[in-house]
Amino acid sequence: MPPSLLMNSIVNTIQVGSLYALMALGITLTFSVMKLPNFAHAEYITVGAYAALIVSQSGDIHPMMILTAACAVGALTALASHQMVFKPLEKQKASFYTLLLASFAFGLIVRYILYIIADQFSLFETRIRIPLEIVYRSQTIILTNIFMWAVPTSVLLVILLTLLLNYTPLGREMRALANNISLARVIGIAVEQVKRNTWLLVGGLAGVAGALWGLSTSVSPLTGWVAILSVFAAAILGGLSSFPGTILGAYVVAFSENTVMQFLNFYLDVDFGLKPAIPFMMIILVLLIRPQGFTNFFSWNRDFQR
Amino acid sequence: MNIDIIATIIALLTMFSIYSLMAISLNLEYGVAGVPNFGQALFVSLGAYVTGVTYTRLLPLLAGLETIHPCGSSLGAALQLRSEIMATQPLAGFLNLALTFVTAAALGGLVGFAVSYVTLRLKQEWYLALVLLVGGEIVRIAVRSADDLICSHNGISGIAGPFYYLDDARASSALFMLLALALALAAYRCSEGLIHSPFGRMLKGLRENEAVTRSLGKGISLARAQIMLIGSVIAAIAGVLFALNTGFVNTNDYVVTLTLDVWVMVVLGGLGNSRGALLGAALIAVMDRLTQVAAIQLNMSGFPIEFNYVRFILFGLILLFMLRFRPQGLLPESPLTTHAHEVLRPGHPETERRR
Repeated sequence: MPPSLLMNSIVNTIQVGSLYALMALGITLTFSVMKLPNFAHAEYITVGAYAALIVSQSGDIHPMMILTAACAVGALTALASHQMVFKPLEKQKASFYTLLLASFAFGLIVRYILYIIADQFSLFETRIRIPLEIVYRSQTIILTNIFMWAVPTSVLLVILLTLLLNYTPLGREMRALANNISLARVIGIAVEQVKRNTWLLVGGLAGVAGALWGLSTSVSPLTGWVAILSVFAAAILGGLSSFPGTILGAYVVAFSENTVMQFLNFYLDVDFGLKPAIPFMMIILVLLIRPQGFTNFFSWNRDFQR
Repeated sequence: MNIDIIATIIALLTMFSIYSLMAISLNLEYGVAGVPNFGQALFVSLGAYVTGVTYTRLLPLLAGLETIHPCGSSLGAALQLRSEIMATQPLAGFLNLALTFVTAAALGGLVGFAVSYVTLRLKQEWYLALVLLVGGEIVRIAVRSADDLICSHNGISGIAGPFYYLDDARASSALFMLLALALALAAYRCSEGLIHSPFGRMLKGLRENEAVTRSLGKGISLARAQIMLIGSVIAAIAGVLFALNTGFVNTNDYVVTLTLDVWVMVVLGGLGNSRGALLGAALIAVMDRLTQVAAIQLNMSGFPIEFNYVRFILFGLILLFMLRFRPQGLLPESPLTTHAHEVLRPGHPETERRR
């Protein structure tokens, strides 16, 4: 294989993997703390991407501002889904599948509202407007400023989130909720407040990830939905309970989608149309062979107990 | 504007029958047995893909002719060949339809049984939901990127109904409607019989409390896989009818939103009873029709809004409202009574005599 193809696929792996990590940590967090497989997560990503798109179209704006806007809108959407959908359902002791279905329904509503907005203002497949520069170029690799934005930002956020979970009061409270919610309530943790903070955190991260994703490709109402199953694959690789496992899972998924796919295409002539099937295959294989994923791989980290 | 009332009713009843089959299948799986099938689109699509294949490969053979490759340059010729056969040789058409039903049911049932038998042994039961959801997408992507099977992105068009040979278009669609209604009725009778059988009671027990049912000596993995088999067979048959009704098979029709449509029907009508499934299917069929008519009217009066979007928002809202305010559905499940309940009731001669 020519080295430029290989190197490019590795650059893609790093970029996509970092974004997947950012999104997948949100899934792991909601699943552990809220006991909810949240498919509406896709829509927090899309909403963030659209917020970034709309802000970026209003003139020359610093990328930091774009990310902040995306973070705020994503966080608010997540909080809204909690307040309007999940909290009342939890109160009436809805079953696991009811919550799963409700997350689908909420996602459906948000997605098609975005469709209507995109339709009215013709914002389909639009790129976020920031000047594209080439930061580094050699014979084999080209790095753009988008790569230099997306990767450090998401890596930084992922590290901060891991530190938060392991070493801060909020992280400790979230772990307590994940472990045993009645016990957490008994020892005086403000459960509702911790949940709200968790939702803001999850939504904000998803929003930022959506904006960064939109910077590197383009934005459409299906942006989040296309990514979500890869992201779920990453979270399932992390056993839906381990942060480092999820991060590793994200890079594994991205590596198989980019580098492994490139190899398959080059040597075995596998069509690139089959690329979306890779994360699905991974989900099924992990569930059947090792359902706990990478849980308890990393002894320094405190995984969520289930 | 003038609406053709009879054509509308025929179309509506056909759609109602197809939706009923899907809803009855999901109701048996989730409503009765508590198996979370989030892969309804997978089983419906299996039926549709089988239809796409038999109508292009098997039909010419049954009519005693040479098969023409349905994709690429010979697309037009193949399309003409199959409509000609359907128009002139009704027997070949019927035989092909029967074989399609059998193949689709066998394939759907096999996949449903195999997937659930393996997955339901896992510790986390909801993994089945995920595996089926994801499996539907894998099959869709694989079929879409296979160039030969149903012509990848293009799909197969011009799949005529079994009564296409009749000169009168209305008569042929009316007969197709009757066929679909008959199948839906049969499925309804089967599902009612099943719910009121000892097997059905065991499934409800399984849904309510797995440990108790197991301690009574019932094999739970097998029972769940069996109900998935029955449900998948019904869903695959619905898929065949769906493909015949729209007249073409395309992978884009069998995405996750189809699964959600069926869930909306079942949750709306009421889980755990077949009448609820029928009611949900009827309401959604009517709603679909109304949104279509409204969309055409609005677009003609110069109001360009894509009504498909509104449809999905509406579906999401219905689902959320039902889950929140009436989780038992419009027609709640009634308690199951058996002959024993009758006998043990105070005042029954049998009981009185024993006293």
